[in-house]
Amino acid sequence: MRRLTEIICVFRIQLMSMRAEVGPFLLAGLVFPAGMYLFANAVSGSENAHQQNRLRFLAGSIIFSLSLTSISWLGYLLLENRFTGRLKLLATLPLAPSSYISGMLVFAFVQATLSTVTLLVVGRALGVPTRPTIMLVPVLMLTVLTFCGLGAVIAARARSFTQGSLLTDALGAGLVFLSPVYYTAESMPASMRTVCGFLPTTFAARAVQTTLTGGYQVSSELVALGLMALATLSLGFRLTRWREE
Amino acid sequence: MIEETLIARHQQHEAAPFAPVSEPVYPSLAVRVRGISKRYRDGTEANCGIDLDVRRGELISILGPNGAGKTTFLRQITTELRPTAGSVEIFNLDAITSPQAAKRLMGITPQEAGIFQSLTVCEHLELFARLKGLSKVDAKTGAAWVMESLDLVQQAKKRVGTLSGGQRRRILIGLALLNRPPLLVLDEPTTGLDPASRQAVWGVIRRAVTEGASVILSTHYMEEAERLSDRIGIITQGRLIAFGTLDELLTRIELSYRLTYRDRLDPFGSNCLRYFASFNEVQHYIAGKELSEYSIARASLEDVYFALTGERFTEEESKST
Repeated sequence: MRRLTEIICVFRIQLMSMRAEVGPFLLAGLVFPAGMYLFANAVSGSENAHQQNRLRFLAGSIIFSLSLTSISWLGYLLLENRFTGRLKLLATLPLAPSSYISGMLVFAFVQATLSTVTLLVVGRALGVPTRPTIMLVPVLMLTVLTFCGLGAVIAARARSFTQGSLLTDALGAGLVFLSPVYYTAESMPASMRTVCGFLPTTFAARAVQTTLTGGYQVSSELVALGLMALATLSLGFRLTRWREE
Repeated sequence: MIEETLIARHQQHEAAPFAPVSEPVYPSLAVRVRGISKRYRDGTEANCGIDLDVRRGELISILGPNGAGKTTFLRQITTELRPTAGSVEIFNLDAITSPQAAKRLMGITPQEAGIFQSLTVCEHLELFARLKGLSKVDAKTGAAWVMESLDLVQQAKKRVGTLSGGQRRRILIGLALLNRPPLLVLDEPTTGLDPASRQAVWGVIRRAVTEGASVILSTHYMEEAERLSDRIGIITQGRLIAFGTLDELLTRIELSYRLTYRDRLDPFGSNCLRYFASFNEVQHYIAGKELSEYSIARASLEDVYFALTGERFTEEESKST
């Protein structure tokens, strides 16, 4: 019960802090990804291809939104807590480090839910034929966990706030544009295809696209994302210093 | 077993945290430090073999020049920093192996820490009270009590980011006081505060001690140490070179009379300072020099500090009101 209270308090602190940051959140979570959807649509070529690609562009925009909120934004918050002394303040409390991480993860899930639902509504309004299945939920959860783990690793290892925020920004956008998220794997250079096939955004985009078309066959993507989430979160958790040596 | 008993006792206290503590529920020794040493990875030896006991209901001040190792010492007590050697016990709990349990018995104000600037003062205090284990009702009561005690009522609904540095410092102190813990560890709590705020903080600290809490604080202000402390420790170069009551420390210096005078031959020069072992020696000196403008005083904590560390506090540092 105490652990749950701690998690809720950490989540509420982040949520209340967001009141002053609603504008940037809308930009990162909705405006940029929606803009990318429209941009991709506009440059996608013939009408036939355009129709086929719409779903992939929407799935790509959802991944882009998750990447910006979970890697860049959450990484930024973790960096801010670390480099402005807030983490030091939290460490004076009898607060379990796992509660802190969990509270931050809950905050990331809420952000992800808000932005994904809004993007799905926007997609519907723009005429994208989506039939999401329940499998979308675990796919999104594991994607958010993997991204949060990456943000946590950067936040824990960065030597300065500037270095860390540059890295989270670069990774947040880079992972999306280096993976076959907005375009097909076949259109990538052969040398990049193998490497990019192992990026979390590749698995996430493929799984989101499948679940949005009413599919359930995402077990291999779930396993891959699960392993990545486990690896990145374990590392991020291990590297987060609650107590100095 | 000891841990469980102590935590249970503290939980009982937390159930009614705003009633004065009358029964001695905690062991008589609040802090027991033995042979604590800290060597950083770059080889810097910040603390070396420090022993210290803090009794329940006692206020200890730690003085020392910048970089002497005061903050390192306090951070090891608060479990933020793991000692290289030695032991730290908080109410008989091993703080090194059970940091979370030890922190439940402490209220900590770090020297430098960030606060959540988008929260209002009231929200900040209430959420941290909840994180300290208080119920919703007690968290509200605690936050209201802290705001009243530290003169923050007018700022209750203001965002922390809009407040002055002194007000933010008071919030940090308030966060430590929230659940009325039996031990307060305050690292330079009044640095940067105006005189009125400093008086308010002193009042709150005194009240906590009256109610049975133990306090260990570091300070740059001689007056603060003299006025508040039961015992004073002086740390320099990582070692605790003196520890005792003010009277005990005053006996550490042989030249315990201070003569401040203006040189007859240099009437526009600054005041001269000279120390003597006895009052008679002072009188002889005054007569011999035919001084007409002078003052005689018993040595103060500042003189002890100077004699032991070889460093004098600057005017700004030693002035506290």
